[in-house]
Amino acid sequence: MHGIRYFDIRHVKAEISQIDLENGRVESAGTTFLDRAVIRVLGPRGWGILTVDHYEWPRGRKFGELLAKAASLASLTGEKVVLAETDTGILPVPKVKVDPRGIDLEEKAMHLREIEKAALIPGISSTRAGYVERYEQVRFEDSCGNEHAYSVVRSGYSVLAIAQRAGEMQMGYERRHDLQDFPLCHRQEDGERAARRAIALLDAERPRGGIMNAVLDPELAGVFAHEAVGHAAEADLVQEGGSVLAGRIGDRIGSDVVTIVDDPTLPGFGFEPVDAEGSRVAKTTVVERGVLSSFLHSRETLPVVGSGHAGNARAMPGQVPQVRMTNTYIEEGDSTPEELIAECRKGVLLCGSRGGQVDPGRGVFQFNAEYGYLIEHGECGAMVRDVSLSGEILATLHNISLCARSRKMHAGYCGKGGQTVPVSDGAPHVLLHGAVVGGSGTG
Amino acid sequence: MAPPMSFSMVRWWVAVELVEEILKAGAEQADELEVYLATGTTVSARLRKKEISYASGSKHHALSLRVVRDGKIGFSSTGNPDSWKDCLRAALKSAALAARQEWRGLPGPAGDAGGSINYDENVVPDPECVSRLLKGMMEGASQHPVDIISGSAQVSRCRAFLANTSGLFCEERESMVSAGLETIRDQSTGYEYETSWRMDIDPVSIGEKSAFLAATSHGGRDIPTGIYDVVLSPDALDQLLGSALLPALSGRNVHTGRSRLADLLGQEVCDTALSLIDNPFHPGGSGSCLHDGEGTPTRVLALIRKGVLSSFAYDLKTACRYGKETTGNAVRSGLGGGVTIGFHCITLEGPRRDLLEEDTLWVHDIVGAHTANPLTGDFSVELANAYFYRDGTPEYPVRKAMMSGNVFEMLRDTGGLSFEEKVVGCCVLPSIRLKNQRIIGK
Repeated sequence: MHGIRYFDIRHVKAEISQIDLENGRVESAGTTFLDRAVIRVLGPRGWGILTVDHYEWPRGRKFGELLAKAASLASLTGEKVVLAETDTGILPVPKVKVDPRGIDLEEKAMHLREIEKAALIPGISSTRAGYVERYEQVRFEDSCGNEHAYSVVRSGYSVLAIAQRAGEMQMGYERRHDLQDFPLCHRQEDGERAARRAIALLDAERPRGGIMNAVLDPELAGVFAHEAVGHAAEADLVQEGGSVLAGRIGDRIGSDVVTIVDDPTLPGFGFEPVDAEGSRVAKTTVVERGVLSSFLHSRETLPVVGSGHAGNARAMPGQVPQVRMTNTYIEEGDSTPEELIAECRKGVLLCGSRGGQVDPGRGVFQFNAEYGYLIEHGECGAMVRDVSLSGEILATLHNISLCARSRKMHAGYCGKGGQTVPVSDGAPHVLLHGAVVGGSGTG
Repeated sequence: MAPPMSFSMVRWWVAVELVEEILKAGAEQADELEVYLATGTTVSARLRKKEISYASGSKHHALSLRVVRDGKIGFSSTGNPDSWKDCLRAALKSAALAARQEWRGLPGPAGDAGGSINYDENVVPDPECVSRLLKGMMEGASQHPVDIISGSAQVSRCRAFLANTSGLFCEERESMVSAGLETIRDQSTGYEYETSWRMDIDPVSIGEKSAFLAATSHGGRDIPTGIYDVVLSPDALDQLLGSALLPALSGRNVHTGRSRLADLLGQEVCDTALSLIDNPFHPGGSGSCLHDGEGTPTRVLALIRKGVLSSFAYDLKTACRYGKETTGNAVRSGLGGGVTIGFHCITLEGPRRDLLEEDTLWVHDIVGAHTANPLTGDFSVELANAYFYRDGTPEYPVRKAMMSGNVFEMLRDTGGLSFEEKVVGCCVLPSIRLKNQRIIGK
């Protein structure tokens, strides 16, 4: 068609099942259905994009009309978009271990109830547990003749326990997300762990905020890698001039113990067999021994920004691809967590995550721990709660002095530009000097 | 033979017939059925630096079904109304698994409660309109020495039918316009946006405000750690209220032991000068409506009146379950979303004054409000576009600082509200002056 340089179609059919338990009762449960396609047309300058419900294959007469509509939208654009030539190809999706789709909703509710029940120990006043399962069938086709199709199932649960005493309330929670597996069997210990933490937090102190040394556990250090470095390395932000990492490839931005990687090929929660533009996925070392080495790219950002390879375009069903992280982690060092705490001397050990956020243009990030422990004389002491950490990207990575030996990955979801995609973050324990720790205590 | 009816070719009478067909089928298989059938059209465009990088259009359909059988409530939704039979089967299966509860029935005909108050027929989702909005923002941004990072504009319309087997049948329409711009000067960023159901937003002003924030935050200084009086903008206030206070006012959280306010009805919970109201008839609210998401006529709900906790919010399901009356606070979470307890238009009432007369830390935005403890309200957030005012005069922009506190406690000692208000999410809020807040700087 005249004026169309390229087009692609990404069609996702999804079935989403969920169960919500509250204090032992099924509050809601059921399945919803989604069927949506995004048709992107590259006109003489930029993109025209149409989103349509229940798209039908193969392409017929109506497809020509859809292309023409998208092309008409493209005529509004002014930016000349150039796409990088990239490798195409698809990885096999990891084999399903236990297929959650083969398990009846009632049986799932029974397993979830067991986990929730385990959280109901003396001292706990309220419990809640939720299960979400998402089965997606993805089909991609472009005007160059590339075609990919795959299906994937992701499922996960969370359990929340609330402890109450003399008007004080605290919560503890555990969650687990799996790719191509069923996570609910024999997980009662998660319920009990959430409950015990909620009770312990009733006696935890609010720390007084300030600048101090901090040891981050693997979950929180993973969020740190994601928020403090990962987002700023997404090349769409770099291209817009909205990242402090722009123009810094080859610069030392951290100490030489810091290596940060994004790897969509890992069979973690952020796994992608092929990216949302049909590009082959591959591992990217973003920071290598403290030096910024690559950005994360789509086909659109690679020619403009450079440094790296395409393959990190991701999208929610029915949404426009964006440059996103997948499985992101800090590589292991050679210390033990105990050595980090001893080296910290005085500070705080921060554990678990309530999420985080970054302003990549300003280079400032913030994230919150679920709980922590004061460190005095190189040893862990009293439990603390509601502690957060903030910092500047370009300064903070220099202050990581030690990484421990064992890395753990944690699954979750990441939001950007109104879209939420599954990711995993991970790290070993890390020691951070001079961290800005937020806490509302006055003692 | 006539071709099978397809919702994708929808006209209103086709939709009405489809709703009636589903109601008829549902009535045979369940005690009650509720049908929500919606079509939404959206046109949006995105700016990268000074050029539009893409323009997009979408037309979405959504069918949500709620069934009640033997006091058990089930739900399902689909983006393809033509496959409503699968959706109905899934909703019935969902009901089979749900716990039985007290139930007093879906609401009957809405009388004059049908109709819409947040719909403007002048809001037309067309590409030229979003293009004009983007150009306006660029023009506004040019008034300050900044670079544009990105911007977006979106215009949408939605038409929906809500009907049930108790005889309710109402049609509602909504329109929405939104535009936002992010700018930068060196490492100082600024972001401003506006939303409205009318075509009354001023893109030039949005662009100018965004650029003003980026330009004036440049060259920030460290602020000493200490206790400050803080003025939060409507955006910052909305984020903190939404992180803990508003969830604590949901009847569901109250009765399931997840609200810190559960036992405080009738007691003083914040500054006695303040009242927190959900006003579904607010002329500016993007969620204003005459009936709620399940057809109950809405009403003004005083959640906190002059500092005293006076009501919680209920939908039908929660109200029946706990022996309360619905307050008309059922909302639908997006096109095709289920019914949940929410708010239509939260407003804050209290003494209005010039908030910057004394020494003040003025905070336009915060980073990380969603990481607050939703149960206790404890938070530590990073400040963005914060300025220290000495005796009412801006003295310096703050380079980097955190604010630590508690959402519930921060409202106990306040110093007034601004005259100006802004539509933010489900709220129309002023700025607020908070006394004695802990700031962690240098």
